[in-house]
Amino acid sequence: MKILVIEDERGLRENITNYLNADGNICESCASLEAALVKLTDYHYDCVLLDIGLPDGDGFAVLDHLKADGKMEAVLIISARNSLDDRLKGLNIGADDYLTKPFHLAELKARLMAVFRRKTLNTNSKLVFNEIVIDVLGRNVEVNGEHIILTKKEYDMLLYFLANKGRVISKNAIAEHLWGDEMDMHDSFDFIYTHIKNLRKKLIDAGSADYLKSVYGIGYKFLAT
Amino acid sequence: MKLSAHYTKASVLISLAVLFTGAVIYFFVINYIANNQLDRNLSQALSEAEEYVRTTHAEPQQYDLDQDHAVFLKTDQQAFKRRYFDTVYHNFREHRTEPGRAVEDLVKAGNRRYKVTITVSRESTRSLVEIISVITLVLIAGLLLVLFITNKYVLNGLWKPFYRTLREIKAFDVAGSGQFSAKDSKVDEFAELNSAIYEMSARVKAEYRDLKIFTENASHELMTPLAVATTKLDTLIQDETLRPDQLTQITDIYASINKSARLNQALLLLIKLDNELIRDDEPVNLKAVILEKIVQFQELAQSKNLVVINRLDDKGIVASKYLIDILLNNLFSNAIRHNLQFGKIEIDLSADQLVFKNSGSPLKLTGEQIFERFQKGKESQGTGLGLTLVKNICRQCGFHINYHFADNCHIFNITFPKIS
Repeated sequence: MKILVIEDERGLRENITNYLNADGNICESCASLEAALVKLTDYHYDCVLLDIGLPDGDGFAVLDHLKADGKMEAVLIISARNSLDDRLKGLNIGADDYLTKPFHLAELKARLMAVFRRKTLNTNSKLVFNEIVIDVLGRNVEVNGEHIILTKKEYDMLLYFLANKGRVISKNAIAEHLWGDEMDMHDSFDFIYTHIKNLRKKLIDAGSADYLKSVYGIGYKFLAT
Repeated sequence: MKLSAHYTKASVLISLAVLFTGAVIYFFVINYIANNQLDRNLSQALSEAEEYVRTTHAEPQQYDLDQDHAVFLKTDQQAFKRRYFDTVYHNFREHRTEPGRAVEDLVKAGNRRYKVTITVSRESTRSLVEIISVITLVLIAGLLLVLFITNKYVLNGLWKPFYRTLREIKAFDVAGSGQFSAKDSKVDEFAELNSAIYEMSARVKAEYRDLKIFTENASHELMTPLAVATTKLDTLIQDETLRPDQLTQITDIYASINKSARLNQALLLLIKLDNELIRDDEPVNLKAVILEKIVQFQELAQSKNLVVINRLDDKGIVASKYLIDILLNNLFSNAIRHNLQFGKIEIDLSADQLVFKNSGSPLKLTGEQIFERFQKGKESQGTGLGLTLVKNICRQCGFHINYHFADNCHIFNITFPKIS
């Protein structure tokens, strides 16, 4: 997957690029609207990560540019503004998702994978990882060809882990992914433990390898092999 | 008491005092003048009587000059001081007695001496005084009436611009969109007042707007560094050489960042509510939304072994779904957070009101205090803005919310506006 990151904040840009540059993804980045428009004209990307607040102009111009060129890149907006208007405006003029700062890299990756999957649903509705096969259209999970039943939270978590396989994911990131803002962090850690325990048990019972590892003190890791 | 009433009272009292004193003095002066006139007439009559006595040499019996009554009494007195006095006058023609004025003196004719008493009626002067008094009283009454009416209508009219200005000041809302209108007044003082208030309101509004823009920008600007910190930590924890205790520290840093971000979000939302920027009202089925929320918070409630009791009637409202979501999230998480193990949450929804009741230990905060910014219980992990948000959302939606603690329960009561 080829990704373009358009973000003016250097620290953020470098971290995002480093995190995404894995699993055979190629991640490029630029810091201004002008550079972004040049790159988008010259090259093709699968996904574009777009910060709305750029120093030399409104990030919405990128969306207009893509639309005018008839390009099919999946666009994920990242913005400091959690305003409904901005969100609707972005989604209306062609963005696929909207992520508000601050965010976890794991969340970013999961969202990016989701928008990419949605764009390529026709050719790519099955997510395969070793013996685990997920049909994202039917929300159906199979292990070694055997169907397993997951709760909504377990299913969400499995997708989340698969998008970030091989990475340590903090409990905080998982909690935010599953519950958003509505829950206090410390309350939710116990629930995460329960959900992960159940998910792991269901996967192992169906004959999958034990991929879910606990990283003491911080969170969990879904082994990449 | 209004200024015009004060003024009317003072002016009426002063006028009354002056007029009354004037009337009394007036009365005495007129009386004095009238008496003087009578006395002069009497001395005239007396000298006529003297003349008469001197010329007739006869025994003056009943002598009547015009209508004066004159009585001659022979006397031996050598000297007698002339005196005027009030007496009674017998009007023989009309057969009645009237107040009279008399003069008494000694008249000598040769060696005869008479004490002469001449009496005249004071009736005419008395009626004169009476008429003058009545006219004066009518004048006083008329004057007072005119004064009263003038004060009531003219003064009230004069103060009208002032009350208009006052109304506008009362209605002035620093966050509202309405502008103070500086109406011109013919009265210099009011015109000056209006222009001063106009300038002040414009300045206040401008500064308030600046402050809001500043707060909003500051909150937004803060989000990017928080994002940098989060992503740096996300990268850092991939390092496999980190020890568990170091990772635990990082977890706490995450929590702090998360809290900052939530605080910021809440502040931004409060600003938007103040500005009434959220205007996406749509019909919302409150019962359905609450039922959804009960499912959403089920896990959390179960962790404290809470019993959730709901008695919900169908209730449709027109509001922003986004805001109602935040409102209910805050009410639910509060009801769970400030609850006891094996406690309960009761939710009652009727056509008039929504009541959230949860068991819990009493707080130091009472009544309205609980809705103030950054007021929170000691053990609360929240941002301290949750209930402020709740209150502001209620205000924006036209609901009224109050809090009280009774029977070891925290009770939030949201009253919907009457549908007219």
